[in-house]
Formats: sequence, C-alpha cells, structure tokens
Amino acid sequence: MRREAPGGLVRRSMRRETPGGPVSRPTWWWWLAAAPAVVAAAVAPVLPGGTRVYATTSARWAVAGCGLLVSLLVAGTLGLRAYVGRVRARAAAEAAGWAATDRRRLLLRLDHELKNPLTAIHIGLANLRAATAGAASGDGALGSVQAQVVRLGRLVADLRKLAELETQPIERLPVDVGDLLREVHAAVRELPDAADRDLTLTLPQAPWPLPPVSGDRDLLFLAVHNLASNAVKFSQPGDTVELRAAEERDHLVVEVADTGAGIPADELSEVWTELARGRAARGVPGTGLGLALVRTVVARHGGQATLRSREQLGTVVTLRLPLAR
Amino acid sequence: MADAVGGGRPRVLLADDEPAITANLGPFLERAGFAVHVVSDGPAALAAVAELDPDLCVLDVLMPGLDGREVLRRLRAAGQWQPVVLLTRVGEAGERAMALEEGADDYLNKPFDPQELVARMRAVLRRARPGRPPLAATGRLRSGPLRLDRASRRVWLGDSELQLTPKAMTLLDYLMTHPDEVLTRDRLLELLWGFDHPVGTRAVDNRIAELRRILGDDAGQPRWIETVPGLGYRFAAPVDAP
Repeated sequence: MRREAPGGLVRRSMRRETPGGPVSRPTWWWWLAAAPAVVAAAVAPVLPGGTRVYATTSARWAVAGCGLLVSLLVAGTLGLRAYVGRVRARAAAEAAGWAATDRRRLLLRLDHELKNPLTAIHIGLANLRAATAGAASGDGALGSVQAQVVRLGRLVADLRKLAELETQPIERLPVDVGDLLREVHAAVRELPDAADRDLTLTLPQAPWPLPPVSGDRDLLFLAVHNLASNAVKFSQPGDTVELRAAEERDHLVVEVADTGAGIPADELSEVWTELARGRAARGVPGTGLGLALVRTVVARHGGQATLRSREQLGTVVTLRLPLAR
Repeated sequence: MADAVGGGRPRVLLADDEPAITANLGPFLERAGFAVHVVSDGPAALAAVAELDPDLCVLDVLMPGLDGREVLRRLRAAGQWQPVVLLTRVGEAGERAMALEEGADDYLNKPFDPQELVARMRAVLRRARPGRPPLAATGRLRSGPLRLDRASRRVWLGDSELQLTPKAMTLLDYLMTHPDEVLTRDRLLELLWGFDHPVGTRAVDNRIAELRRILGDDAGQPRWIETVPGLGYRFAAPVDAP
C-alpha cells in the first residue's frame, strides 16, 4: 500500500538524512605538508654530488634561528593537535545529532504505524460490545481489553509527543515562575497521597521577587508538576516535599526536593531516559516518561536539569532556567 | 456495506485505505443511524461525492492517490460545502491547525473512540448550513462586535484590535467555528497540545481565563464563552460569516 510521509515534522527531518550516517569532510590538503619533502627529493639527484655547501653565521644568529625553528615546530604540533581535536568533537556532535534524529524518527514511525491497528481494535471492541450486549459473561473481558488498548494508545501518543517536543516551536513569553510554583503547589496538594506529606513552597520576596523566565508556561507547569507529583509518589506519609526557587545571577533555579525513597546509585544514570522505571517504581502507576519530559522541556528553554539522590534519604531535582532578557 | 440511499438517515461517505478500519467502522456507523458508503482512496472519494452527494464526509488524511486534505481542498474549490471530518494520524499542532484552516469542520486523531466520532459527526451535521459554506470553511467570523479574520489571525472587538497569544487565538478560532457545542477540556487541550495530560486541563482553564480577560467577558454572566460545569466550555453567542 502506498503511504505518504507522515506530516511536516517527519518530512523536514528526512530531508537532512543521508544513508550511512555521518560523513566527515576530506582533509586532502594536509598532504601539502609533504610537498617540500617531495620537491627536495626530486631535485636532490640532479645536483652534482661533489659539491659541498658551507654556511657561516654568528653565534647570535644561530641561537636566534634555532629558537625560531623550535617555536615553529611547537606551534605546528599544537595547531595540528587542536585541529584533530576539533574534527573529533565535530564528528562526536554529528554522531550524537544523528542518534537523536534516528531516535526521534523511530518514535514518530512507531506512533504512525500503530495508529491504524489501534483504531481498528477500538472500533472492533465497540462492535463486539454491541454484539454481546446482554450476555454478561464477555463484558468484563471486553472492558479489560479496552483499558489495555487505551493504555497502549496513550503510551504511544506520549512517546510521539516527547519526540515532537524536541523540535516543535514553543512559546516565548514572560513566565512568572513564582505564580507557576504556587499553582503547582495547589495542584499537587489535591493529589490523593499528598494530604499526609509535609508539602512546602518557599519563594523569595526580598530584596525582590523572582524575575520572569521566557518560555512556555504550560510546558514549564507540566515539568514542575511532574517532579512534584513524583516526589509525592515516591515518599511516605510524614515525609517532606519542598518546592523552592531562587535567582542566581542570570538564571532562575527551581528545586523540588523530598525525603522519600531515593534512587539506588546504579539507577541514577538512567533516570532521564524514556521508559526508564526504577525498581522502586514497580507497583506505582506511571509510564516512565515523566523525567524524560522534564529534561526535554528544560532543554527547550535553554536550561539544565540535574538530579541528586540517596537511597532511603531522598531526592532533589534542580532546574536551571535562563532569565528573560 | 449499505449504499448511500438512507431513507431519512444521514448519508455518510467514509474514505479510508485501511480495510481493518472500514470493515469495523462501517457497521458501527450504520448501527449509530448513518447510511454509510465506503471508498478506499482519494479519487474514489471525489467520484463518490459527485455521484452520491452525501450529507457528510469522513476522510482519512493519509490515503493513496489523493490524500484526505487534497480531497477536501478540491471539494471546497468546487464549491462543495458538505461537512467534512478528517481522521488525522499525525498529532502535531501544525497538522491540526492546517486541517482546520483548510476548511475541515472537525478532525479526530487516530486512534479514536468511535463514540467520539459519532458525537462529532452529529455536532457537525447540526451545524451544517445547507448550500452555504460551513463556518470552518469561511475566512471571517463575526459574533456581535467580535470579529475574527482567520487567515491573518487577527481579532477585533468593535473598532479596536485585540492582541492574543497564538494559543489563545487557536482556542478562540475553534470555539467560534464550533458555536453552541460543548467542548470538553480534554478536547481543547488536545487541540492546543496534541495530547491530553491529567493536569494539562488547568492549562485550558488558564487560556480561557486569558481569552475572557482580553474579550472583557464576565465568567459569571458570559456573553461569549460559557463554562459548562463538570464538562468544559461552550461558545454561547451566535456566530455568522459576514
């Protein structure tokens, strides 16, 4: 069956592709360095062998000349090393870029290919439900299959959304982070488990309140809410969850900290990747996409997200967002 | 599959190249009270519209021959104003906006709940203005002193132009092209973001508050945007295309 490329995003990213991955630029001109040796080798046999050449100079010029020669050699070596370093860094950055593009393409294709089958299953289930209406036996089974289809559809959609977030244009408007944190605080307090956590919000008022960051308020809300609801999810009654923010030179620092279960040291390197779910997350509802979403949102705002955690002691996630200029 | 001779039932053209979908969706829509005619590509869809003059078209966006959006463009260019619901597979915001700008009356992302499709089809049929372009296919909308130029994305209240953020504009456009229809928070969230997130509905409330502030609409006694408790919002005032 013939298929059109799915949508502008994919088409755009495909245009950048060439098969076989990164191609580095040719470095043929470095062979020019060998040209003097080649020319000398060609000329040497022509010269009369018996001729002796003597050069005399003062000790002063000899020392100065030697110094100059050594300097040139050192400068040449350093230049070469710097060049090789740049080529390597460029190749590494290109490779990382390709890997990210590949991952994004895979996620979009996966989403694309699963949508028709999922739609057909949805409608088929609705038809089955109508056909077996009245026969109570099949109803529970149909309901549970339906729930799983919805879950599968959501997972695929969330993965696609993450891939899209990496490239889609985002709003750049002044965001009052203090106001946003107050809203997250209020929203998290409504979570079923939040009632017995000590949930605090600390915002500076002196010498002045938090300056705005430039970005998309909805996305920043999602990111901070994800962190705060994680903190509630992975803590126990009586634990503390703190939301705080501070200005630091040209950045705004937002922290979400908890005295909860913490993350085992061997899982720390994986926490930001899609579908990573730690041992502690077994039995806790979630998709394993929350932190990947946080990382992507913060990166799109030109910021960084870092996480420190100790098992049994707790976790703090720090978001550094550049201030609006 | 029933032919499009509906005996009072709305006649629906369903175009999708995936047999697993049409084989299930056809009977589902028949049972929901529609007379369904199924085709599996764009050229066949155009031919069927010319031949059968259906009350409503449900077009998959990705089809061989001509895609759903191209079929829609050709229908509109030929002055065919049947309501069209697009089935989209790409949830990207740009794709959704494009579907609506090109004059689709509504769109639904795959995978969808078939009940939701039926609800949208009924809403679209209710809004249909026989022989006249649907609101979704017109460039300018007016509701009292509120005017919206959809192509240039500009809004005026009386003589003064209003400054809206792109998302508030998308929201107002959707509300005004779907007047008197209850739009759930999830649906509006999906419109703005392409996905539903349990906390994201707050973002919808924020945007609605922003719109009301700019329009000077009182949430207690709304002239335009009405809150439907427990459900979502509704554009309450009549909308016309001047």
